[in-house]
Amino acid sequence: MNKLAAKYLRPSQIPTKACHGCGIGMIENWLLQAIDELGFKQENVIFGTGIGCVGRQTFATWGGDNFGATHGRALAVATGLKLAQPDKKYLIVVGDGDAASIGTSHLIHAARRNLGVTVICEDNMGYESTGGQFSPTTPANYVTNSSPYGMAEPGFDPCDVVKAAGATFVAETTATQWHQTVKIVKKALQNDGFSFVHVRFPCNENFGAYALGTRDTLKNLEWIYEHTQGRKPDGSETDFTWETGIKHDVSNSRPEFSKIMRDMNARVRADMAAKAAAAAGDDKTRDDGHGTH
Amino acid sequence: MATLAVSTRDGLVAPWVEWEKRCTDGRRLLEAGTYALTEGAIAARCRVFAGYPITPATDIAEYMSKRLPQVGGYYVQSEDELAGMHACAGASLGGLKAMTATSGPGYTLMHDAYGWSITNEIPMVVVDAMRVGPISGITGAPGQGEFYIARYASHGGNFETIVLSPSSVQEAFWLTIDAFNLAERFRTPVTILTDQVISDMWEDLFIPADYDALDFVIPRKHNLMMPFYPVGSADLDVPPNLIGRGTGVCVSAYTHTEEGYDIEDMAAQWAQTYRLINKIRHHTDQLARYETLGLEDAEVVAVAYGANARTVKTGVLEARRRGVKAGFVRPITLWPFLDELYERDCRYVVCELNYDGQLVREVMRAAPDKKKVHFMGKSAELHTVAEVAAGLEGVARSNRVPELPYIWTEVR
Repeated sequence: MNKLAAKYLRPSQIPTKACHGCGIGMIENWLLQAIDELGFKQENVIFGTGIGCVGRQTFATWGGDNFGATHGRALAVATGLKLAQPDKKYLIVVGDGDAASIGTSHLIHAARRNLGVTVICEDNMGYESTGGQFSPTTPANYVTNSSPYGMAEPGFDPCDVVKAAGATFVAETTATQWHQTVKIVKKALQNDGFSFVHVRFPCNENFGAYALGTRDTLKNLEWIYEHTQGRKPDGSETDFTWETGIKHDVSNSRPEFSKIMRDMNARVRADMAAKAAAAAGDDKTRDDGHGTH
Repeated sequence: MATLAVSTRDGLVAPWVEWEKRCTDGRRLLEAGTYALTEGAIAARCRVFAGYPITPATDIAEYMSKRLPQVGGYYVQSEDELAGMHACAGASLGGLKAMTATSGPGYTLMHDAYGWSITNEIPMVVVDAMRVGPISGITGAPGQGEFYIARYASHGGNFETIVLSPSSVQEAFWLTIDAFNLAERFRTPVTILTDQVISDMWEDLFIPADYDALDFVIPRKHNLMMPFYPVGSADLDVPPNLIGRGTGVCVSAYTHTEEGYDIEDMAAQWAQTYRLINKIRHHTDQLARYETLGLEDAEVVAVAYGANARTVKTGVLEARRRGVKAGFVRPITLWPFLDELYERDCRYVVCELNYDGQLVREVMRAAPDKKKVHFMGKSAELHTVAEVAAGLEGVARSNRVPELPYIWTEVR
């Protein structure tokens, strides 16, 4: 176990059951590096996740408080939790199924509300824990076990979705970009609002094996890296390019959701107190009507 | 299983019989059931409501949006009912009492969150104002179609649920406080299964003056140490877990250990199941809420709950006026099912607002002789007093429900 893992994770819960060469552990280590560099205390960070490879491999590894929601619902749980525990940092680590498919409505509305959480969408480009089916982030034409003739449906970019919905920090990175990812996650965690970080990572057992034809970790990482550069080693162009980096940063530019709620409450209660004081001065016999007892 | 001694004296068995006597300082209002459900929740110190407006539960959302900010609470209009109940679970895990309210179509979407909340022992209250179905049905007509769904509110089995049903606006107020208390004591979601009539109906309502002075409201406590999940135990009054205090609590969708770690192990699965089932089954005596009438001499007993119980009770009194030795049982606790209420060896007429027959099947199971259990199903409107009296008279005199328009009697 490395120093960061020893400092922040639960020895009994790692190593996880992740497959050989899976990128999830590596990315989690980078998240720990970001937390460590920011000096966040373990008890002040709540770790939330969902279902699938990312949920299963990261749940209960964090040494602080953890929750693993039903599939797609981590942000719905976080919406209520944030109201009750507004001062905590929330690291919501989910997969492409959670964020970009089954839980997308919660993602959109968490972004709209500017819910104060950092979502790390760890995207292995398909449903790999069920054996490798396509997801909305599987690249066009790639073969998976439910797209044997190639991914026919158009996909979407979750970064575009959350940006349009009102997220205040949006970034894209990959498991081949260590320093960039740590820098991005640090920025994301410093936004008192909705931050979304999309991190593509390789799956050797399914996406690698079926879509790319190899279970070799380095080859799968290299395939991702080539698509961030738009060029293969031989100089030819890749079939598409992922633009990585910060896509949208208006951190701390608008109020966070739970603060909006608290401010509204303060206004309502101040108005009530003012009215009660005025009523007491004006007319001591008047009833202020039902609903205020 | 705890045994329950059923009172044969006419009247109500519920904690609010005592509460009503103690609360004398307050105001009398003319208000709706939705108002009473809301105020009951506020009185019970509910501080988060997350839900999606749906007829006939919409007014609860509206009242909550007004009341919660006044008491320092939060109203969340969620994107759907999945989000609503999950947000309540999150709020409850964060230490705030929470409630959501819906009707059938939204209730169907909540099963995901029910399973998560039941397994992780997260207290909250869910109101389902039933309307006639299936699916959207008629939005402004009452139904009683979620009797079984409320019991089996999640897939997978291996759990018990607590479901209560009020039959007046006043009862909705007290019962909501009771539901919150039971949620805390049993560490589980408690469902209030009400209906369109009770929700929308305006009626006399007494509201205590000072909610803070209600000493029967069980305050939220926090469990800050291991075991977070007392697996293999049936203990009550284990304080709920709290996320946000750095206790290291783990909450997930999986079969869990005492720490909350996910585990694929038969012994752990068994120990979790023992806990989820028996914390309720071993304490049914503390969950019994019901009303009875005429059980001393009854030869035929009418059984009904919710809004429907109002006309059925009057029908029983009418049958007695006609010389029929009729009795009345109104289960308020629908689940766990109070088998003991049907121990009397007599004829039963079960009146409920569906044609498929749900409550009647449980009465058939619990009664000494299922051949003596009769069904009077009606849909989208309450039984009339005349129908109930005719049904009771028919069963008492000739052991059959007479043919009546819009009444179904077949169960199979």
